[in-house]
Amino acid sequence: MEKRQDIVLGLLFAGLGIAAAWMATEYTGASGNYPMVLGLILALLGGAVTVRAVRSGRSEARALIEAPAKMITTAVIATLYVGLVVPLGFYTASFLLMLALPMALGFRQAVYALVVALVFMVLIYLVFSVLLEKPLPREALLSFFASGA
Amino acid sequence: MEFYTNAFVQVLSFGPLTAMIGATLLGVFIGALPGLNPVMAIALLLPLTYSMDPLVALAMVAGIYNGSMYGGAIPAILLRIPGTPASIATTFDGFPMADKGEAAKALKIACWSSAVGGIASAIALMTVGPLLARVTLFFGPAEYFWIAIFGMASVGVMVGSDPVKGIMAAVLGLLIGTMGIDNLSGQARFTFDQTWLLGGLDLIVVLVGLYALPPVLQLAEKADLKGLSAAQLRLNDVPFKPGERRALIPTWLRASGIGIGVGILPGAGGNIAAFLSYNAAKNASDDPASFGKGNPQGVAAAECGNNADNAASMIPALALGIPGNVVAALVLSALTIHGLQPGPQLFHQNPVLVGGFMMEMLLTSVLIFALGGAVATRVFAQFQRLPGVLLVPSILILMCVGVYVINGRPVDLWVMLAAGLAGYFLEKVNVPLAPVILGMILGPMAEQSVRRALLISRGDATELLTRPISAALAIATVLVIIWPIAKAMRRRRDAGKA
Repeated sequence: MEKRQDIVLGLLFAGLGIAAAWMATEYTGASGNYPMVLGLILALLGGAVTVRAVRSGRSEARALIEAPAKMITTAVIATLYVGLVVPLGFYTASFLLMLALPMALGFRQAVYALVVALVFMVLIYLVFSVLLEKPLPREALLSFFASGA
Repeated sequence: MEFYTNAFVQVLSFGPLTAMIGATLLGVFIGALPGLNPVMAIALLLPLTYSMDPLVALAMVAGIYNGSMYGGAIPAILLRIPGTPASIATTFDGFPMADKGEAAKALKIACWSSAVGGIASAIALMTVGPLLARVTLFFGPAEYFWIAIFGMASVGVMVGSDPVKGIMAAVLGLLIGTMGIDNLSGQARFTFDQTWLLGGLDLIVVLVGLYALPPVLQLAEKADLKGLSAAQLRLNDVPFKPGERRALIPTWLRASGIGIGVGILPGAGGNIAAFLSYNAAKNASDDPASFGKGNPQGVAAAECGNNADNAASMIPALALGIPGNVVAALVLSALTIHGLQPGPQLFHQNPVLVGGFMMEMLLTSVLIFALGGAVATRVFAQFQRLPGVLLVPSILILMCVGVYVINGRPVDLWVMLAAGLAGYFLEKVNVPLAPVILGMILGPMAEQSVRRALLISRGDATELLTRPISAALAIATVLVIIWPIAKAMRRRRDAGKA
């Protein structure tokens, strides 16, 4: 398991290094030398990790993900959240995340989750919108109501 | 002396003072929650400090850093769960003390020891830092190049379990640091015709992703649905025996010295300082068998050692611009986002800021005495009743808001997510993340220094090795890289023979 992971890791880094060195050949003068050298060193180190893993006789078990279902669920919901922050608005998307993610991870106390979500979102609003006056993605619901009025 | 008097006056003004108090309390809270750590908290905080006064921003960093190192002792003592990696050694005697009904006493010892270690470390920073900065005034571009390479090499080989992967991570960071327009020639590098990449990848965006997302995903994997019960967090007050407090003084002195020494070394962190201090206290004890069974000296040594590492780790960061650990790298990031260039010139160009930050490290350590007492500890311990699954979306939201407010660009959210997922898998395959960030910070300094040195010497590369200091630094760099690799190879060969 560990051996296979290290072979893939080494190949990935070696590929990345070669690609970077190759791209650096197109840069003029000294601005290309530095990234080219770095790319070649990265390729060498990646190659060294791969060769070491191939030559190593033992392969210890090393789980890449401890709880795949929970990790993938969280990663997918986080990706959806990042994708929805701009179209839905920051507060709407964040409030939905506060409710959806704990439920997806098995939390069944809806009222508890709702109270924590409300308190947390009010705190975020007070800190970022009132105190620090940071511009955040506009709420789609507000635009919808405004256009309706 | 005037250097510190001016800084002291500035630090005691309303903004920095309230920031120190608030951040120390926040730090204790963060340290007390297993799954949260000071690096993640400071990474989340940095984007919000763009519009703040630099002294206020650094006060918050100092408070969170010192506060969280103590806060980590709360779950370590009450539940045998280290709140931060640096409090693992605190569990050895802290939890047995709590088991004997002496939890409040153990927490008091942890609080005092953290404060003593932090104060000693801040004094070391205030005395050694300016001296080291004065020496580095003699450095030219060649020396700066080697200092940057030495810093990255030592962190690369020391932070992880595999030196080759550590160096590989540092080179990756250096390569990421070259993205965007080259300051010296104007050439766009690795921008893939994307205008948002012309300025390179934003350090804070990558940092938040790398350091905040992996722990969030790990928290989600654990899926804690209940939190702790009130019974698990009940504290009983047991008074100190006569002379028990005074007996801690030699342990504090020893642990402070060890913590400061470890802090100055690049790559070694608070956990190493705590373990070494704990072992030293055990070896010096008349009754070493009592360690691990609830000896207050064990708690004092571990907590004093891990806090004594804090300010000392800032010595190479402030004096040389070389961060010794990730929090020091974050401090350098805080300085650069305020347009300040870390390194010896900082002491001359912004003496109030550097002196002020040193004072803030000292005062936030003193604040632990005042704010980290049993009452505050009781309050913070109650937050551990919150189910872990509710923390997961909360941190994700803080990450997004923090990253979005930097440039107001949705694309940064995607970069953060990608960096976080890459960080999660890299950690799983034993590639340390700290060298990636150090590479991004030190890369531009290394490149500009080497190109300036070559310009001065008209392309003669031997200039990088013929000056005495740069030659010494080059040899030290080679030794730092070769020594652990040779050690690992010998260990592997011995294991093969066995």
